[in-house]
Amino acid sequence: MIPLVSNLAPLACAVLLALTGAAKLFGRQTAQLAANTVLVRVLNDGRRATLALRTLGGAELALAAALLASPEALLPGIGTAVLGAGFTGYLAYAKATAPESSCGCSARAEGPIGVRSFARAGLVVAGGLAAAGADSAWWSQVSRRPGGSALVLAAAAALLLCASADLDHVWLLPLRRARIRVFGNPLPSAAGERVPVAATVQLLENSLAWQTAMPVVRSALLDHWDDEGWRVLRYAGSYQDARGTHPVSVLFALDLTLTVDTAPHPAVRVSLIDEETEEVVPSSVLTPVPVRTALPLAT
Amino acid sequence: MSHSQESGGRRLDRRRFLTTAAVGGATIVGASALGGLDAEAAFAEPMPSLDAAIPAAFAEGRIVATNRNVLDVAGSHGERHLIQLTNATSIWKLRTTTAEAIEVGDGLYARGAAMPDGTIAADAVWVNIVNVYVTIRGIARDRLHLTHGNEELVGHIVPDTTTASYLGGALTADLSRTRIGQEAQVLGAWRPADGAIDIARVSLGH
Repeated sequence: MIPLVSNLAPLACAVLLALTGAAKLFGRQTAQLAANTVLVRVLNDGRRATLALRTLGGAELALAAALLASPEALLPGIGTAVLGAGFTGYLAYAKATAPESSCGCSARAEGPIGVRSFARAGLVVAGGLAAAGADSAWWSQVSRRPGGSALVLAAAAALLLCASADLDHVWLLPLRRARIRVFGNPLPSAAGERVPVAATVQLLENSLAWQTAMPVVRSALLDHWDDEGWRVLRYAGSYQDARGTHPVSVLFALDLTLTVDTAPHPAVRVSLIDEETEEVVPSSVLTPVPVRTALPLAT
Repeated sequence: MSHSQESGGRRLDRRRFLTTAAVGGATIVGASALGGLDAEAAFAEPMPSLDAAIPAAFAEGRIVATNRNVLDVAGSHGERHLIQLTNATSIWKLRTTTAEAIEVGDGLYARGAAMPDGTIAADAVWVNIVNVYVTIRGIARDRLHLTHGNEELVGHIVPDTTTASYLGGALTADLSRTRIGQEAQVLGAWRPADGAIDIARVSLGH
């Protein structure tokens, strides 16, 4: 089993390096990609970072060619392992200094450096070490044991697929969907539970009471509590009269079982309490919502 | 301990007093009491402004220091703000909360009035608020896996806080109608420590 894996490792590594190397060397987006990596900061220049990425692509292609052509030689395998170790070190550095930067590993616009980036670099190290231990060429191995070879290569491809985010939509999302179909949605269904405060706020903000009181309200929701079937929402506000501006608590009381689905036009109790005197402010300071004037019709 | 019990008691007394005032002598504004029947009536005439004498102020940035009720905020464009919190300032950090929940390093968006001494007296403060359009890529018991463009995000479900709205309907605690592959709008609080989001509201199917 182990000789089988290590004899086929040069082929697997070569295909991977050829793909990522070609994408880096010839890809049109390499410059864009380089701009998102930590290389820009290390090299102080976007153009140099692009050049570095393209050079790396060239080196990967050369390694791939060497692995394919002389699979029994020690050097290409060692080179691949060293490259993988270099990737790991670079990732660790980038993660520590600029965790939001892209890794640039497979020359696609990827998200920040995560477990998968490290897994990929680790696979390159392992593949390189395995390739260094190859004692016969991959083509003779494939012709000697075609069935086992196909199995090992398929396993290697699956492993690389799991370590890359590019093909998630092919296998990972259908798998997750199937799991939800079989086991059900794991999130709470909360059937028959109490109305969330956010839903009461939504109901208030859609109400006529809110429009009426809005000129007085200054803050967002300050406090809320439930009492005897009412949900009381408190806002800070201010109103003006002849003696100046006064701070008030604006209180809205709503039926705590209602939502915009069940009550499109709720009745809301509104009161203003003067913060200094603790007295109820007459509701005349509220501006009634004007009745909409009909738009003139063209005749 | 006794102090917090005492202040808790005062808080309940105050709430009790306010409830009585709110439910007792309150003006009832319902569909038939004032104005027209449809919500659009509000747009018939322009809203009166808050207070023309006090210029409105906005501030946005990361909190670099807190000193009692003053927040020292470094804006995204190099500016500096001093934000004064009062007991009339509403504070949101995933939910309605108090000034104690604010930490150095948090992001902030504040609205208030510019004071003559250069500080901003805040009316409302939103801490770490984020609003992103995402695609749902995975559903677990306590979190959603999301992508925003090419970026992967984790959205944590917070019990008793996370709500969902389907097809523009009322907000509900029922999250079980989420589907993998759906487009969603997520409103929540960003966690500076790990970049994940605590979800306040997820809107689906708009």
